[in-house]
Amino acid sequence: MRLIARYAIDRGDAIEVVTRYDETSESVHLDAKAPAISTIATTHPAAIWFERKLSDDFGIFIEGAFDRRPLVHHERFPKNLHPMQKSFAQNTLDFAEFTPYKFEAVGGDGVFEVAVGPIHAGIIEPGHFHFSQAGEDMLHQEVRHFYKYRGIEKMVEGMKLAEAKPIIERISGNESVAYQIAWRDIAAQAAGVEVPLPLRRYHAFLLELERFIHHWIDLGFIPNDAGFGAALAYASRLAEEGRRMMASLSGHRFGFGAVTWRKQRIETKPILAWLERMAKEAAWFEEWIMDIPSLWDRLDTTGRLRHEKAVKYDCVGVVARAGGVPVDVRMTPFYIEHGYRMQTRAHGDVGARFKVRLAEVKNSLEMMHRFLERDAFSMEVSFAKEGRYEAFVESSLGELYMMVEIEDGAIDRFFARDPSFINWQALHLMMPGNIIADFPLINKSCDLSYAGNDL
Amino acid sequence: MLRFWEKRALTGVVTEHRGFENDIAQIRSALKDEVKKRFAGSLAIRMVDSGSCNACEAECNALSNPLYDLERLGIRFVASPRHADVMLLSGVLTFNMYHHVMDAWEQIPEPKWCITLGDCPVMQAPFRQSFAIKGPAEAHLPVAYHIPGCPPSPEVIMRGLLAFLRSLD
Ligand code: SF4
Repeated sequence: MRLIARYAIDRGDAIEVVTRYDETSESVHLDAKAPAISTIATTHPAAIWFERKLSDDFGIFIEGAFDRRPLVHHERFPKNLHPMQKSFAQNTLDFAEFTPYKFEAVGGDGVFEVAVGPIHAGIIEPGHFHFSQAGEDMLHQEVRHFYKYRGIEKMVEGMKLAEAKPIIERISGNESVAYQIAWRDIAAQAAGVEVPLPLRRYHAFLLELERFIHHWIDLGFIPNDAGFGAALAYASRLAEEGRRMMASLSGHRFGFGAVTWRKQRIETKPILAWLERMAKEAAWFEEWIMDIPSLWDRLDTTGRLRHEKAVKYDCVGVVARAGGVPVDVRMTPFYIEHGYRMQTRAHGDVGARFKVRLAEVKNSLEMMHRFLERDAFSMEVSFAKEGRYEAFVESSLGELYMMVEIEDGAIDRFFARDPSFINWQALHLMMPGNIIADFPLINKSCDLSYAGNDL
Repeated sequence: MLRFWEKRALTGVVTEHRGFENDIAQIRSALKDEVKKRFAGSLAIRMVDSGSCNACEAECNALSNPLYDLERLGIRFVASPRHADVMLLSGVLTFNMYHHVMDAWEQIPEPKWCITLGDCPVMQAPFRQSFAIKGPAEAHLPVAYHIPGCPPSPEVIMRGLLAFLRSLD
């Protein structure tokens, strides 16, 4: 069973903890006065962050936990404050006294620690990586995030679904369309309607376009981090073309506001011509890049995540597929009919992740061909029935899970688990056997989100 | 390799000459004369994300793609605040980033300027004030210039940077 998420909902005199697996969902009610629950991290290591977050958010004691450090609450976060409890209503916080965070570190003769971040060297999101080193060799690495923690889960409580949409689509700019489609699926369920085919096709087109853009950015930056800058120049030009296509279709370069209940009439001819041209560019890029042995010398065998580990850590997205784990939300009749083909590789290294991305870009272009439709479409959706709704979307980073509970027509609990939240926890497994100079390459090949993770 | 050079020759230079090349020429001479002392002919920017959705960063990265090629203007993004003239701040200034942002600002040598990028740092993006947000940035930092947008496109960022330079005199 694959763990998808573990989260809680404040029910007044009880706190409900939901554990979502791929096939089942378990719900336990805890006494709100002294909430405690047993850890599942012994069988699902990826539960650790979920459980640390449960303690921060709700004050739940995790029995048998081997990591009791706070997760989203940093050094100066006031102690014994649990903002996801319904009774917490503060809009601002004062800084508390500094409580140092104890990093995971490996001891031993000659072993030293290297701390990087939260502000990194490039134009990149803030986060912290903590390495235990023996010379150049990485022995261990701890990922510490949540510098970007904006309190979005709480922020949208009490809002109508439509009101919350502009916020939800800005959780992670790289995955905006994916978040919007998750929102759409939840809104449709709450209104008791099916999303009609023309909209599903159009939104799927936008989602593949988003993937096209995001994958091209990575396909440029991965070789760039190995010292092959020409690939970045090439790939970033194609990503820019994708952004402009997104802007011409949706009026926004990142597709903010693109997923609605309306679709305008589209001039398909120029788009089809563009897709043809992009397919040629991708084919040229592939032939070119595959033929550079010095580059593959750097990419192959670097940052390997073995299949068993990818399974054990419940990995998703390109990270999982590159290690031969076939998880992809698009594995549905709708997508398969439109030309979707699962892309997996066996080695789980940087090279494999690069190849999966390249194969997916080409597959996305094929699917976009079939998703494209000319005609306009529109519908009204408003009424939101009470209840708990879930959505799964394959964002460019992997499986996105969203859960919304509606009460009195407004959001009572919002929970989103970005694919990064899972994959970040597996990043350290890719380090042993590599040197610290490989880290940027390994990290970039996974291209995980901080904003989606930190919510 | 031959295939590469063939492609290279066929593609040519793709850098776009946007509609404000005249502005650029003028700013270049402004940079040369007045600002030369301060910026030594080039402006170094340290980008600091204080809690963005990453779209603002993506647009700053896009500034180096061959179509915009920002560096031709003598404007560079640098790795260390100690090499920077300007802190370009994006994001909503979260509770958890607050002290790190202030640290980075401290590290920038005088004279220095803070430019806010995008609607987030001025709390104009759709995010509401929450316990985890310390924004707006101008309550904590001397903001010299603001580039609006959600996110501002590469072209808007370029225009904004040029307008900032012009505002210095
Ligand atoms: S201003 Fe808009 S695009 Fe920029 S970080 Fe904020 S939400 Fe994202």
